[in-house]
Amino acid sequence: MIERYLAQMSTYAGSIDGLILLVAVLVGFWFFAAEGMLFWLVWKFRERPGQKSQYLTGTEHHIKRWITWPHALVLVCDVFIVIGSIRVWNEVKQTLPEPDSTIRIIGQQWAWTFQHPGPDNELDTPDDIFTVDALHIEVEKVYHFKLESRDVLHSFSVPVFRIKQDALPGRSITGWFEATMTGEHDIQCAEICGIGHGVMAARIFIEDAGQHAAWVAANSNSTTP
Amino acid sequence: MMARTQNVRLSAALLLGVAVAACNPTPPTPGLALGKELFETCAPCHGDMGTGDVEIDAPAIAGLPQWYIEAQLRGFQAGMRGMHANDLPALRMRPMAMTLNRDGDIPSVAEYVAGLPATFPESTLHGNAGAGAERYAAVCVACHGPDGRGNELLWAPPIVQLNDWYLVQELQNFREGARGADPADIWGQQMRINTFALDDQAMADVIAYVQTLR
Ligand code: HEC
Ligand code: HEC
Ligand SMILES: [Cu+2]
Repeated sequence: MIERYLAQMSTYAGSIDGLILLVAVLVGFWFFAAEGMLFWLVWKFRERPGQKSQYLTGTEHHIKRWITWPHALVLVCDVFIVIGSIRVWNEVKQTLPEPDSTIRIIGQQWAWTFQHPGPDNELDTPDDIFTVDALHIEVEKVYHFKLESRDVLHSFSVPVFRIKQDALPGRSITGWFEATMTGEHDIQCAEICGIGHGVMAARIFIEDAGQHAAWVAANSNSTTP
Repeated sequence: MMARTQNVRLSAALLLGVAVAACNPTPPTPGLALGKELFETCAPCHGDMGTGDVEIDAPAIAGLPQWYIEAQLRGFQAGMRGMHANDLPALRMRPMAMTLNRDGDIPSVAEYVAGLPATFPESTLHGNAGAGAERYAAVCVACHGPDGRGNELLWAPPIVQLNDWYLVQELQNFREGARGADPADIWGQQMRINTFALDDQAMADVIAYVQTLR
């Protein structure tokens, strides 16, 4: 449902959307049920000719039922949400599939710089490719990223991947993603990081094997750190 | 009752007015007034009077010529500066230039900055001005002039009034290809050639000499 508005382009995007939907439906149901009940009661016990509006203290057993039963049902829903969350957390954060490639992502005021491993597919070797505001990856390959910041807090967000990870100065945070479709999409900074935060945007280019190899070959010697 | 209807009418008219104004912003008239307003974005880094801030590597831009400021702002926008992974100061400046996105923004703010009095910030580096003098007379003088005040015909900016740390940093940027490497950056490329023969010491020396031209 959410993918009608924002494409799902990573292996775990569907799980995250599923969780968001689960929370929205369960919480939404109880929200509307509770509000509906509230307004219905206000209307039902309103002041009428010959009858003052009534105040119920809620101490009688047959009235308290209206609180305790829904409360129990809400707790049951919570269990579903907790189970769903743990499963998604486990899939996205607790497991780290073997990488086909590793990249470094560096946030600084106000640009993203990317260190690609280059033709030898090894990070931190002389043939690495550095780019500003453009990340090039291959579709259907597992990427590990090492996320760093050179100054303040930033947050690496790729909406089509449903990924959003804070970058902290002084730390290198490892994460992963695997793209499922080719295309060109937005990267944004999702943490206020100063006057230029709003324009701290970049693009991700998800390429098929041929396109990606061509890009690597064309850029392997042209950039230095 | 009368008063109430009138109030309602008045608020409706006000709301309508606001809505119309919001949908139909009058395009700002380019000029000094707009430039002053736009400069509020620049002041946190370059200072209220354009005197710069060494803490964030922002140079003293006050009093640079309008044509040069315009050219650099367009250069930032086009990615000729501020697109190199290790050029952190320019990575900060580029998005600021991107905010000048309406017709007339760039000339207006450039006119305003050009009108601010140049500050000639104090020297902070210890180059050998004597050694730098020779280099300057042999190479740089052709474009930046004997007084370091530049030459608009050659697109060469005045360099006497800028911070010495900034000038050395830019020379390094030219040498490393963070500036002047873009094939579209005709003037930057012309400047870049002159930096290949300079090591860091030679850069500090020639800039030390530039500071004596004030
Ligand atoms: C966030 C801080 C910041 C803000 C805000 C900012 N600048 Fe800058 N600006 C810098 C830095 C840092 C540099 C040095 C870039 C470099 O080293 O290449 C710079 C460089 C420049 C230069 C190049 C000077 C030269 O001698 O080549 C110009 C022109 C300039 N800024 C104009 C502006 C204008 C106009 C604004 C407002 C719209 C502005 N700046 C806002 C940080 C800032
Ligand atoms: C062929 C003409 C030419 C010569 C020779 C030349 N420059 Fe330049 N210089 C330029 C131009 C043009 C620019 C502006 C480049 C741009 O638009 O980015 C410039 C820019 C600079 C800047 C950056 C100023 C700023 O505000 O960011 C410095 C510093 C500089 N030159 C120093 C030198 C020094 C030192 C020498 C001698 C070693 C030298 N130049 C020789 C043409 C020249
Ligand atoms: Cu940021």
